[in-house]
Amino acid sequence: MGYFAKLFSGSKSLVSGMGVTLKELVGTTAQHKAVTLQYPKEKPVLAPAYRSAIKLIRFEETNSHDCVACKACERICPSFCIKLDGGKVEGIKKKRVQTFEMDFALCSLCGLCLDVCPTATLEYSKAYDEAGYNRDWRVDLVAEFRDYEEEFIRKQRAIEEAAAAEKALKAEQAKAAKEKAAKAKAAKEAAAKDAAPKDDAAPKAAKEDAAPKDASGANDGHTDAEDKS
Amino acid sequence: MSQSITDYAPQTITELVGNPWLAMPMAAGIIMGALTVNVLMLVWAERKVSAWIQRRMGPTEVGPYGLLQTLADMLKLISKQLITPANIDKPLYHLAPLMAFAPVVGAVALFPVSRDYVLLDNDLGLLFVFALGGMAVIAIFMAGWGSNNKYALLGAVRSVAQNISYEIPLILSALSVVLVVNAMGGSTASGLNLSHIAWVQSHEHVWFILLQPLAAIIYFISALAETNRAPFDIPEAESELVAGFHTEYSGMRFSLFFFSEYTNMLIVSMLAVVLFLGGWDGPLLPGPAWFFLKSYALIFVMMWVRWTFPRLRFDQLMTFCWTVLIPLSILNLLATALAISVL
Repeated sequence: MGYFAKLFSGSKSLVSGMGVTLKELVGTTAQHKAVTLQYPKEKPVLAPAYRSAIKLIRFEETNSHDCVACKACERICPSFCIKLDGGKVEGIKKKRVQTFEMDFALCSLCGLCLDVCPTATLEYSKAYDEAGYNRDWRVDLVAEFRDYEEEFIRKQRAIEEAAAAEKALKAEQAKAAKEKAAKAKAAKEAAAKDAAPKDDAAPKAAKEDAAPKDASGANDGHTDAEDKS
Repeated sequence: MSQSITDYAPQTITELVGNPWLAMPMAAGIIMGALTVNVLMLVWAERKVSAWIQRRMGPTEVGPYGLLQTLADMLKLISKQLITPANIDKPLYHLAPLMAFAPVVGAVALFPVSRDYVLLDNDLGLLFVFALGGMAVIAIFMAGWGSNNKYALLGAVRSVAQNISYEIPLILSALSVVLVVNAMGGSTASGLNLSHIAWVQSHEHVWFILLQPLAAIIYFISALAETNRAPFDIPEAESELVAGFHTEYSGMRFSLFFFSEYTNMLIVSMLAVVLFLGGWDGPLLPGPAWFFLKSYALIFVMMWVRWTFPRLRFDQLMTFCWTVLIPLSILNLLATALAISVL
């Protein structure tokens, strides 16, 4: 290239380069499109598939986790990072976990614990900014549920008691209905025996009395059987 | 503008106050105050411009829009310990920051900020500004040599070579403007007087960038090199020479170099405004507003250039100066002289 051609092409590239930076400058100032994320003030939007250390799911219907302290996850964990303890709680059927210690530093996010959990109460958390002061830094996953635990047990107990009471009531009703039905049947049979020599009016009244009660008693017995199964 | 072109004389601060012994500290106070604010704002502006160009946000935390960030940095620099390395050349090492700082403060006094007032009206103003600019080279070399550090020395040597080379096209391009001023403004007033250069452009209703476009471009490029700014920041070249000539300076000594660098930016921009953009000349707004508007617009361009182009290699730098800028500026000067003598 000749001297002037070089000068010309050089100047052209300089000007186009300045055009590029001017475009970026205007883009940042006029359109407010700085790529900076003001981290502690703004949180990043994580990918849907982002997986971090495990956590206990808070179910909507109970407002608590459903860990029954079966230790299946503790046994299957290849990194030995789960340590949990729990047991029977007076008044409710299921066991409850007391402590669920998790060493995030050891966890390899393999997900075996999620697969093996019988109550499906484990999931990946989206924690990305955890930090600790020492090496064996363990996180108690139950900690966030602990405040609510007493109330949960109380409520659960109430629910279970109510269910038991209802069941008992139904059983009683069913029993009463059965007895009534049996009585009616006996009365009917007795009436049928007496029917031949007597008037038509008496057996008619007995039939009307017995029929609806018989039906309701049968119905109750049916639902009760379903509950039991 | 009923004045004739030759009897223009702005009032100096000495004439205004009456007593030169009172006027001198006043002028010094005005200059130091203005320059400090200027440097604080320029450093902030530089960081903002660079951030915006790189799609970042720049300082946002200290003060509104991060405006007070530089003030905080300055306080930090002032309070820092001054580290003096062993085996230095003590007088040179200690004098260098002052030598870099003093000339730039002196040069600011000469600029005609408005039509009617100027701090110092000197018939050799342009020459004086260039002379003081030349002293910066000495300061940089003193710093590099006195530090007894290989990076500092390399930076200083590069700086001297660069500044001496680029002073030639700088002065030659300014000289062609002086020729035009002398041709237009008659023989009584000096073409080297900065107030007079601005006055002629206002009086004749023509900015010299229209008469001398090539000189203006050459002046701007050389000015970038004179202030050691990217893409000509070879004396500092942080990726090659740590920090160049001020590697061994810390705390307030370093801030003096920093101060002089940013004030130098202002000086070359103001000089460009006086030489090519009509100085305080402009409609509606008062003179000082136009003057500083133009100056800071030029400074913005300098920042824009800095964050756009990569640093030149040393041989490219020298080749560019000696094969492009100097021949073109000489040709421009000759053509100007020829045109003036013919017309």
